[in-house]
Amino acid sequence: MDLLDNLTLGFSVALSFQNLTYALLGCILGTLIGVLPGIGPVATIAMLLPITFHLPPTASLIMLAGIYYGAAYGGSTTSILVNLPGEASSVVTCLDGYQMARNGRAGAALSISAVGSFFAGTVGTIIIVMFAEPLTRMAQKFGPADYCSLMALGLVAAVILASGSVVKAIAMVFLGLLFGLVGTDVNTGAQRFTFDLPELSDGIDFAPIAMGLFGIAEIVVNLERHLTRTGGTIKVTSLWPTMEEVRRAVPAALRGTFLGAALGVLPGGGPTLGAFSAYTLEKRLSKNPGQFGKGAVEGVAAPEAANNAAAQTSFIPMLTLGIPSNAVMALMVGAMIIQGIQPGPEVMTKKPDLFWGMIASMWIGNAMLVVINLPMIGIWVKLLTVPYRFLAPAILLFCCIGAYSLQNSTFHVMQVAVFGVLGYVFVKLGCEGAPFLLGLVLGPQMEEYFRRAMLLSRGDPMVFLERPISLGLLITTALLLLLMALPSFKKARKEAFVEEEG
Amino acid sequence: MNRFLSKDFLSGLMFIGFGLIALYFGQKLALGTPVRMGPGYVPRMLSLTLLGLGALVCIVAVVSGSDPVERLKWKPITLVTIGIICFGLLFERAGLIPALIVLVTIASLAGEEFKLTEVIGLIVTLAVLCTLVFKVGLGMNIYILRGVW
Repeated sequence: MDLLDNLTLGFSVALSFQNLTYALLGCILGTLIGVLPGIGPVATIAMLLPITFHLPPTASLIMLAGIYYGAAYGGSTTSILVNLPGEASSVVTCLDGYQMARNGRAGAALSISAVGSFFAGTVGTIIIVMFAEPLTRMAQKFGPADYCSLMALGLVAAVILASGSVVKAIAMVFLGLLFGLVGTDVNTGAQRFTFDLPELSDGIDFAPIAMGLFGIAEIVVNLERHLTRTGGTIKVTSLWPTMEEVRRAVPAALRGTFLGAALGVLPGGGPTLGAFSAYTLEKRLSKNPGQFGKGAVEGVAAPEAANNAAAQTSFIPMLTLGIPSNAVMALMVGAMIIQGIQPGPEVMTKKPDLFWGMIASMWIGNAMLVVINLPMIGIWVKLLTVPYRFLAPAILLFCCIGAYSLQNSTFHVMQVAVFGVLGYVFVKLGCEGAPFLLGLVLGPQMEEYFRRAMLLSRGDPMVFLERPISLGLLITTALLLLLMALPSFKKARKEAFVEEEG
Repeated sequence: MNRFLSKDFLSGLMFIGFGLIALYFGQKLALGTPVRMGPGYVPRMLSLTLLGLGALVCIVAVVSGSDPVERLKWKPITLVTIGIICFGLLFERAGLIPALIVLVTIASLAGEEFKLTEVIGLIVTLAVLCTLVFKVGLGMNIYILRGVW
């Protein structure tokens, strides 16, 4: 059996001492940043990108993946104990988790969220295993025109599910695509937008942009807001939930898992969307919705399961098609490119050890996280007392050293400064950074596919409409754009994000 | 509030600005034909689209209005940027420790509280940590203090 062989290979890679260490390191780092408010997984992964340059490819991706789902676990801890969501995806957990803690059920809430997350992570991993091969096989039939349309669909879909103005988000995608063109033209060798700087001839490095846009801009915004911590810490007594709580949590976690897993695959989806939808679903299904917001077990179990399931399944489009569905996945693509791996369907066939090793490590990482989070809860809570005025300079310093270490050049440090300012401008103007990043990552590939498709069709743009796969993808893209223009959808979308921000 | 100082109108202007920059610096790149595209074809396409979208954002912002821009606080962004630039200038010329001291001090000034003892403690901790992680642990080829180590 093929699948079994692949999984055996995966586990043999993931269980090597080196990879286990990096998985553990990633999980610990992820939990750490999940617990600390004011720094999210996007900024952390961006900062660590240069360091992964020195690691073997499999180890680096395993570590980055660990940070991503570790953050989902860590974020829930602070939501429950101090009513501070460390991550956007655990904002909903605050609603009922903190109330449970105030009712003296902090331990139960923590263990339900951890076990629920672990279960969801397991299901998410199984879903990746099941879908990876068929999707990859499908992707291998794609021609250049199909790829181009697929990327267009991915970019548009990511825009719809992002918050804020749609036209602005689309413009951000185009801006990102444009930045992606800087450097030497692959086909002719001409220098484009390099301003005679030799450092730019290989293109603008991805890591300094990500660090500036997400790391620096985030720090500056936090400094402006005077990030302060309030609220007393709650003591954790017994970690065991009662039978009644288990009876209510299990079906909720199951529903959350499947809803989250489904939403995670969508471009632009991911943990946050999954958690919010799962909470809303539970509230609608509940016989006494009045309980929600006052410490309902379902309100903890469902969103926690959903955000973790979504964190797992959002790897699917990235691993099989090479299309990132959110900012974290865009960074993972960046990490692969740094390592000289072109993400896409070839990864599975050409680098099966990396592909299956990473998937196996996700399950192992989820198991580690339960251990890291439950018995060691006291340590993480202590970390909350570190004031932001210590964190901000430290984070800045790591960004700078990281940027320098990319190519041992201070040019990259200066780039971080420039993109930090740009990122700040984006925040002030309400422009989302994520669409920009997706455009930037996909830009060079999309141009190549576009030029190749046009060359094959002898300059006839109709090729995008004549190939059935491409046509289908473009019709879907057009439908999505139409949907966005509908007033009722506009309203629903606005409401969804108002709830999210509140 | 002036409707031209809204978030959306200014974003539109920003997109137009970037579009114009790309058009100007891309004008020397050969366009080629749709069959054999030159290096300038796709950039031209993208910058024109960006111009169009920027104009659209501006028009919508003026017609239907949008949120005003929040008051800018110059201190954090300016100090953080200066800190990073100083770090970049000092890192190779003087070494990690001087660059670190300047960056951490300037970045600490950007926050609302500044206590000298705390900042010194932070500098010492970070200096030890970075030396151990980057120089000893990862074996990076950097100066800790130029001329000394």
